[in-house]
Amino acid sequence: MRRKRMDRIGKKIHIWVVVLMGAVFLVSGTGAHGAIVGKSGSTFHLVAKQDVLITSDGDSFIMWGFGIKDDVSGATSRAQYPGPTLIVTEDVPVTITLRNELPAKAGNVSIIFPGQKVTATSRVLGPLTYEAVPVETLPESVDGSATYTFTPSEPGTYVYRSGTMADLQVEMGLVGALIVMPATTPSGGDPAKKYAYNHVDSQYDREFLYLVSEMDPRIHRLVEQNLIGNINFTTYFPTNWFINGRNYPDILAENNVLWLPTQPYNCQPRMHPGEKVLVRFIGGGRDIHPMHFHGNDFETIAVDGRLLSSEPEAGPDLAWQATTIKSIPGQTADLIWTWTGKEIGWDIYGHSPDDPLEPDEYAPNHGKPFPVVLPQRDSVTYGAFYSGSPFLGGEGELPPGHGGLNASGGYFYMWHSHTEKELTSNDIWPGGLISFMIVEHPDVPID
Amino acid sequence: MMKRRIRYASVTAALILFSFLWAVTASADVQIQCPGDKDGDGISEDPNIVCRSITAGDGFTKMADGLDLYIFSFGDGEGVPPDRIIADLTLKAQLPAPTIILKQGQELYLTMTNVGMVVRPDLFDTHSVHWHGFPNAAPIFDGLPEPSPTANMGNSFTYYYNAAVPGTYFYHCHVEAAEHMQMGMIGNLWVTPIQDGTSIEGFTKFAYNDEDGSTGYDVAYPLLLTGFDSFFHIASDTVQALPFAAMFDEYPMINGRGYPDTINPNNIVNKNGFAAQKICSLITATAGQRILLRVSNISTTHQYTFATTLGVPMKVVGRGAALLRGPDGKDTSMDVNVLNVGGGQAYDVILDTSGVAPGTYFLYTTDLANLSNGEQERGGIMTEIVINPLNDPV
Repeated sequence: MRRKRMDRIGKKIHIWVVVLMGAVFLVSGTGAHGAIVGKSGSTFHLVAKQDVLITSDGDSFIMWGFGIKDDVSGATSRAQYPGPTLIVTEDVPVTITLRNELPAKAGNVSIIFPGQKVTATSRVLGPLTYEAVPVETLPESVDGSATYTFTPSEPGTYVYRSGTMADLQVEMGLVGALIVMPATTPSGGDPAKKYAYNHVDSQYDREFLYLVSEMDPRIHRLVEQNLIGNINFTTYFPTNWFINGRNYPDILAENNVLWLPTQPYNCQPRMHPGEKVLVRFIGGGRDIHPMHFHGNDFETIAVDGRLLSSEPEAGPDLAWQATTIKSIPGQTADLIWTWTGKEIGWDIYGHSPDDPLEPDEYAPNHGKPFPVVLPQRDSVTYGAFYSGSPFLGGEGELPPGHGGLNASGGYFYMWHSHTEKELTSNDIWPGGLISFMIVEHPDVPID
Repeated sequence: MMKRRIRYASVTAALILFSFLWAVTASADVQIQCPGDKDGDGISEDPNIVCRSITAGDGFTKMADGLDLYIFSFGDGEGVPPDRIIADLTLKAQLPAPTIILKQGQELYLTMTNVGMVVRPDLFDTHSVHWHGFPNAAPIFDGLPEPSPTANMGNSFTYYYNAAVPGTYFYHCHVEAAEHMQMGMIGNLWVTPIQDGTSIEGFTKFAYNDEDGSTGYDVAYPLLLTGFDSFFHIASDTVQALPFAAMFDEYPMINGRGYPDTINPNNIVNKNGFAAQKICSLITATAGQRILLRVSNISTTHQYTFATTLGVPMKVVGRGAALLRGPDGKDTSMDVNVLNVGGGQAYDVILDTSGVAPGTYFLYTTDLANLSNGEQERGGIMTEIVINPLNDPV
């Protein structure tokens, strides 16, 4: 009797989760598909604008961000944080125009592309590059925009950001990711597979963006109050931290949710055991954040868009393994992460020895019993992402009031800053730099 | 009795059967699971199985300038029978937590009992153990409170780890991590390699299975770097709102002590008369020996950078519990004068004292502001390295 009732509750949870997820997908219209969401192409019309971003402590800030003009409709999106992820192809010339619709108080704006050989033009040459003049300050007949052209010669992960008053403008949100895909499959590679670089050892199954940044709310308040002159960066003290422009738990929500209109990108990696995940890791702000990966070691195969090679064609033979990597301001890194359950010492599927193996299962663990007796339910507190079972894809009885948020029995691994105060949003725990990788049972579909 | 429903009936049967293979000694909800322990002393008769009993709760520490600070941390339940753990070990948290050392291939049954926090009866926090850096971890033993069960006050949870990969790790509580780690729930943990005991290049102890002796050492010391924000600890002690946004460590420490307590060979006794800070970080070696430093940083606010005055470079041979070798075995070790360690990072550093004149040297943070105990100067992250002459009878 009891068992049947629990089954029914379990099924109900399944159904509701499916309905809820379906609704979210309908609203957002996009799934992750194991690829990074962004704008692919070779010509991009960016527009710098003022807008508002929302933090997980229930606050909101004035921000300056890049919007993008749709080539078909001609409409320009709202500013977004971070800027649109620009996905381009090696050896294909890229043109980016920048129109400055920021308030006049923001001044000129520009974009620098570290790692690219850029030709820039506009009416005004600033200290770092050519700048776009606020349209607010120009007659309609005068074009104040700037144009940047370059031909990316090396695939990899890069950052772009404001090159004008960058201490203020990057803080305000003018930063984004640039991804250069290889032009061809590397020699010896499989055309059906994905590669980050021109070498077979950069193969991956799914990719995710980790653009890490921070904000000091006082600066945004001063901008809002037209007191830019009072901003003092020597007392910079951030209290809000972002992955792809969102704080935890907003980081987990779908891409393009309606309630975060200027923060379209989530960070919700999922995979099946044995797959290779490429993490495109970007230090998007001004501080160093030691990001720690639960679950397994990663391998750092590239830094700043260059494979860690001892010589050309050697592949990432200088790659290094660890569980924590510092996000260095302005630096990018490409990490390969996988998880197999190897040498755990018990069967993660709870098989008996004569059950068949799951895909990519670590065979020596097969059929090994679970090693301990778990405490009875009232002796422990179940976390929101505990399925009720220690097994991958498992399920178990959940206490009353438990949300059942892990209906597929996935294995959740926190990927987070180990400067743990950054796991808050302006005094509110939890928030900030927390994300979760979910390793799903091989039978659970991942779009 | 287990009430949970598990999908696979055969596994349930196996679990129930397995649970009777060793003595489960229980008192209320404190249960210590130790397979192969037939007489209930908490020690397995199987040499490959290591059983440890720790507690999680609160206590007090004394900073090097004399300030008493309230902490949460782990205590040592070794040899304490289950029915005495809560009675004997409340307010007995240690800083750092008891050190855990394993040999590669051993299995660890680590029972953590949540003994409650008597200074804060208003709190009902659970606690957990996160083995930081454990490769191919399973959420059930990862100590993250979100995807696992964590022990309520008065209850225990046994974590299982197959120590397959040698290296320098550490452990900490992951429940409300910004708070619990700032409060002190951190400890040293390492796994020695299977290569230990073989003789390579004159060494019999190694940081990793290097096969060439490059990580060989004579003496090893853990350097667990962290810091306390005294305002946060006092706010916790006095039941005030916790200042997360303002958190900023001003008591930097090695193994839970600021200099000169780092070189004090005695236990540091807290205001209740309990020796909560047991680890002296004085590094001693004989001239010509190689010293292995197992360095980690678990500060919730700071990165720390350090150097030595030995005059020889530090050779970094491991990072994140992995030998510094490329995927095809290329040597990627580094000779450095200073090493920056971010929160959550661990490094293995070899100091070769060949050619170093006997004497006393310093290991100190080059982030010079961290050479302090609160407002007291010449403290914080600093310790001494004493190189004894080869034939010194001492």
